Amino acid sequence: MSLGDAAAMAGRVRAGEQSARAGVEASLARIAATDTRINAFSAVLTERALKRADAIDLHPQRAKMPLAGVPFAVKNLFDVAGLPTLAGSTIERDAAPAKRDALLVRRMEAHGAVLVGAVHMDEYAYGFTTENSHYGPTRNPHDPTRISGGSSDGSAAAVAAGQVPITLGSDTNGSIRVPSSLCGVFGLKPTFGRLPRIGTYPFVASLDHLGPFARSVQDLALAYDAMQGPLHGPASDDPAFVQRPIEPTSNLLDQGAQGLRVAVLGGWFRQMALPEASEAVDAVAQGLSTTRLVELPEVERARAAAFLISNAEGAALHLPDLRTRAHDFEPLSRDRFLAGALLPAAWVQQAQRVRYWFARRVARVFETVDVLLAPATPCVAPIIGSEWLQLGDKRLPLRPSLGLLTQPISCIGLPVVTVPLWGMSATQPHLPIGVQLIAAPWREDHALRVAAQLQAQGLCSAPVAKGL
Amino acid sequence: MDHAAYVDAAAAALGLKLAAEHRPGVLQYFALAADMAELVQGLPLQLHDEPANVFLPVAPHGADPA
Repeated sequence: MSLGDAAAMAGRVRAGEQSARAGVEASLARIAATDTRINAFSAVLTERALKRADAIDLHPQRAKMPLAGVPFAVKNLFDVAGLPTLAGSTIERDAAPAKRDALLVRRMEAHGAVLVGAVHMDEYAYGFTTENSHYGPTRNPHDPTRISGGSSDGSAAAVAAGQVPITLGSDTNGSIRVPSSLCGVFGLKPTFGRLPRIGTYPFVASLDHLGPFARSVQDLALAYDAMQGPLHGPASDDPAFVQRPIEPTSNLLDQGAQGLRVAVLGGWFRQMALPEASEAVDAVAQGLSTTRLVELPEVERARAAAFLISNAEGAALHLPDLRTRAHDFEPLSRDRFLAGALLPAAWVQQAQRVRYWFARRVARVFETVDVLLAPATPCVAPIIGSEWLQLGDKRLPLRPSLGLLTQPISCIGLPVVTVPLWGMSATQPHLPIGVQLIAAPWREDHALRVAAQLQAQGLCSAPVAKGL
Repeated sequence: MDHAAYVDAAAAALGLKLAAEHRPGVLQYFALAADMAELVQGLPLQLHDEPANVFLPVAPHGADPA
């Protein structure tokens, strides 16, 4: 049985045409059949998932659940009751198991979805390639010799491999958008502060976002809508969370890009992209009939600000372990963490000032435009173990450079939908590459509407990888 | 700035013992961060260009009239 998309699956379960158990069993079977080649899953929750599926099948409100019986998985920095929250590390194996699920897991399940497992990631979310030395690389379902991106690699790969129709991940500097691009799936990084981070392992509190992955825009919007909403009760554990009402998007997708002003981002976003990335943006611009070009000021400095804030905050969080057991950290990020612990405060404080300066300048740009287009990655998925990225005459270290085009955007918390295009690379036409649809703060609906139109036009799609 | 001298002094002050095999990588990444710092410090800012991190006071549950 093929899983198909979440919207159709939930529709069948709501109508009683298919049991939630059948969908969950199909997901578990697909994981068992394919994951030895992909290495997306760090934990498969067979017993829990089947029990939950049976509960959905008997649930009196099943006919009203928008995600009835839809299997989903989460990056293993989300708390899952009974499991230690690994965050891609071995250090956290010693941590006490989580007592309850992360809030967004609970919200997804309250809407009928069924958690089937946790998926791999870069250690402590500090990376874009997930060549995780502890657990092995997560392989790209469209070409297993290549990376899936990171740090939410397992989240993107599991969707691309058809193991589950929806996953959740996190994005601090590009960790939803980079793997979405390289694995050819849709990803949504909502506005900073939109979705509560309660019950997730932090990386950089100033920049961490959570969001969904899916193979269709409708599924992305369904998951996003299910996770929105204010919190009630005492002050939450998430100081960045903004108490906004639910602003549904699933019902707006049919509006497409009508009435929205769209422009292409120039400057840095063209210079730091290989032809395949720029061509993908041009194809989207052509599909949306826009020739408008916009430049943001001081993008490189904004990227530098995000780099410094991430380096210092991320390292400070792990200082006790860096002091006593640095050798247990992932070798690919350990030295970056150690360096980050030593940054002068003045550098980081200046980075926070640059961040606000940049946010105010970009807000002015959004007075005359609704959605900006930029590549999500400079290139298609590199071969596992690649060290360098050649951009014109510049030879850059690959691992940090995969976030060159995403980092300036998450630095100021803008909502972004990443949409996958195919055939853009002359030498690797079988590989996807993503385009960022960037909207003003709190206008996820604009980015999702444009994504829906591009999908309807056939410009963007997220097919299940063949041959697994 | 003499990066190596700063890194060694700051690490010692923090109680962070850098293993010999980690030190070259730490110096490499500290230099990368220093390049980034040069970029952010190169933007002329005014006195009232405030930082992005904002603290919101926490009222006791039920005490906030909003």
